[in-house]
Amino acid sequence: MELSFNSNDGAAVISIAGRLDTVTAPELDDYINARISGIETLTLDCAGLEYISSAGLRVLLRAHKKMSAGGSMKLINVGPIVSEIFEITGFNEILTIE
Amino acid sequence: MEIKLNGRIDSNNAPQVEKGIVEQLGSQSGDLVLDASGLEYISSAGLRILLRLRREYPEIRLSNVSSEIYEILDMTGFTEMMTVEKAYRTLSVEGCECIGRGAKGAVYRLDDENIVKVYFDSDALDEIKNEREMAKLALILGVPTAISYEVVRVGESYGSVFELLNARSFAQILASEPGSFDRCVKEFASLLKKIHSIEVPADKLHDIKPEALSWVDRLGGCMTEESKEQIRNMILAVPDRRTMLHGDFHPKNIMFQNGEALVIDMDTLAYGHPIFELCSVYNALAGFSEYDHEVVKKFQGFDRELSVRFFNAALAEYLGTTSETKLREVTDKARILSYTRLIGRAVQKHGLETEKGRAEVALWKENLLELLKTADTLAFSPNELETEAAKENLPDVLAFIEEHVEPLCLSEKAKMQLDLAAEEIFVNIADYAYAPGKGRAKILVETDENAHEAVITFSDEGKPFDPTAKADPELLIPAVDRTPGGLGIFLTKKLMDGVSYEYRDGRNILKLIKKA
Repeated sequence: MELSFNSNDGAAVISIAGRLDTVTAPELDDYINARISGIETLTLDCAGLEYISSAGLRVLLRAHKKMSAGGSMKLINVGPIVSEIFEITGFNEILTIE
Repeated sequence: MEIKLNGRIDSNNAPQVEKGIVEQLGSQSGDLVLDASGLEYISSAGLRILLRLRREYPEIRLSNVSSEIYEILDMTGFTEMMTVEKAYRTLSVEGCECIGRGAKGAVYRLDDENIVKVYFDSDALDEIKNEREMAKLALILGVPTAISYEVVRVGESYGSVFELLNARSFAQILASEPGSFDRCVKEFASLLKKIHSIEVPADKLHDIKPEALSWVDRLGGCMTEESKEQIRNMILAVPDRRTMLHGDFHPKNIMFQNGEALVIDMDTLAYGHPIFELCSVYNALAGFSEYDHEVVKKFQGFDRELSVRFFNAALAEYLGTTSETKLREVTDKARILSYTRLIGRAVQKHGLETEKGRAEVALWKENLLELLKTADTLAFSPNELETEAAKENLPDVLAFIEEHVEPLCLSEKAKMQLDLAAEEIFVNIADYAYAPGKGRAKILVETDENAHEAVITFSDEGKPFDPTAKADPELLIPAVDRTPGGLGIFLTKKLMDGVSYEYRDGRNILKLIKKA
């Protein structure tokens, strides 16, 4: 998994590429937690995200809860394979996906 | 009763010869052997003597018959009426290049086309016959090998002559042409797979298992009774197979002849589980030389670094996997048998009487004891991975599954779905089955003949737990209220074509089915 971060005036974009699984999920969790203070809108760019398992879903859910407290989080560029997982689990209803 | 025949027997002297034989026989009955070593010619008058003798002595036998006389007897049908034993040609190997040396004999090159294997045991005729029978059997069953076409006398010993045109052993090739490594690995593994694909018919060859048990007996006082019992029980638990095993499969016994690989030295042929074969492959390439690295150089002609690398690459090719976990598992199983065999052999051959021998045995023993700590089975199957149920092994588990579902030609999406399900199940075992302790999991991947579906079976010996019994998570409740559990198994059920659980013989057994 490869992560990168860009922020501008309270708006941040984290790009996630590769596999978000049991092994890599804690890494994303730490990555997000270390960067969201003071951020109002968080965008997760999933263009390079190839795979997500329940461990990854849980990280997204946690981030979503945290951001909902005083801001917002959205996902962009979600590919078809990851999209299917969101649909099956109802995450497409919970998360904001563009 | 043995009578010597000399010179020529034709119509001129036949009556006298017959009279002489009858006088020598007197009134004796029983077996009659006619030693034809001095016989130069026999005409029909002489043959008629043999016919008359056969009436009195139905078991009449001719020995040491020259090729010329044999031809006459063969043409006239006498070889079918009575036992006719050919005389052995005498050969000298003086000045011939010695191209191999094994436990039972040495191999010399006679000329460009022929080699002779000279047996150390001067009474090796039965052994030669046996090896010939084994080679014939192997050849008929589809193993490329060489069969000796003649038995000869070499000094006081016997030898068997093979035709091997322009042949070079893999050992020679590996030692002299570094670029040939990959090809040798491929051919070596494919030949071994070929042998292991053969079912040995009933009452041919012998079962390797009793032999393996005798390796344990040889350990004597070198290992504790407890350790010996553990090894014995593991050997006994190896499933009985009639798989053909070569028994001494290493680069010196594999030859390249006109681009074709063939295996020689067939006297150790047996049947049983392939783990017993891998044990001897490991010994030849790595086990023997573990303490003294020069051993392999002397034996194979190449250094230990190459030898160990060759073993690892050949095993990966043989098992059809690049999974480190799988390779480690099978290697460790082979090593248990290897060390058992090596230590026993050293004990028997007075290896403990020298300082070097003691150091060697100490190293093998240390390795064996380490392996015995966690070992419980020796059998393996190429499509089953046994590993510690720990998250860090997940990538290896997924890679192993992917390799073995290849026949299904799954789409990228289906591969992801299978990955996801396998991840959920394996992580579940890693997190809960043995918590807070540690334990092992087995992953078996099966595909049907028509490659329509794959069945992946996860099993562990942890706490009984049925993940399929868990209620599906409520999907539409707001995010803030959602609990993170239950998603994995839910996804698994949705993405697979079948998920089933049972608890049997102390094991959690979870099956995933994915259709192509």
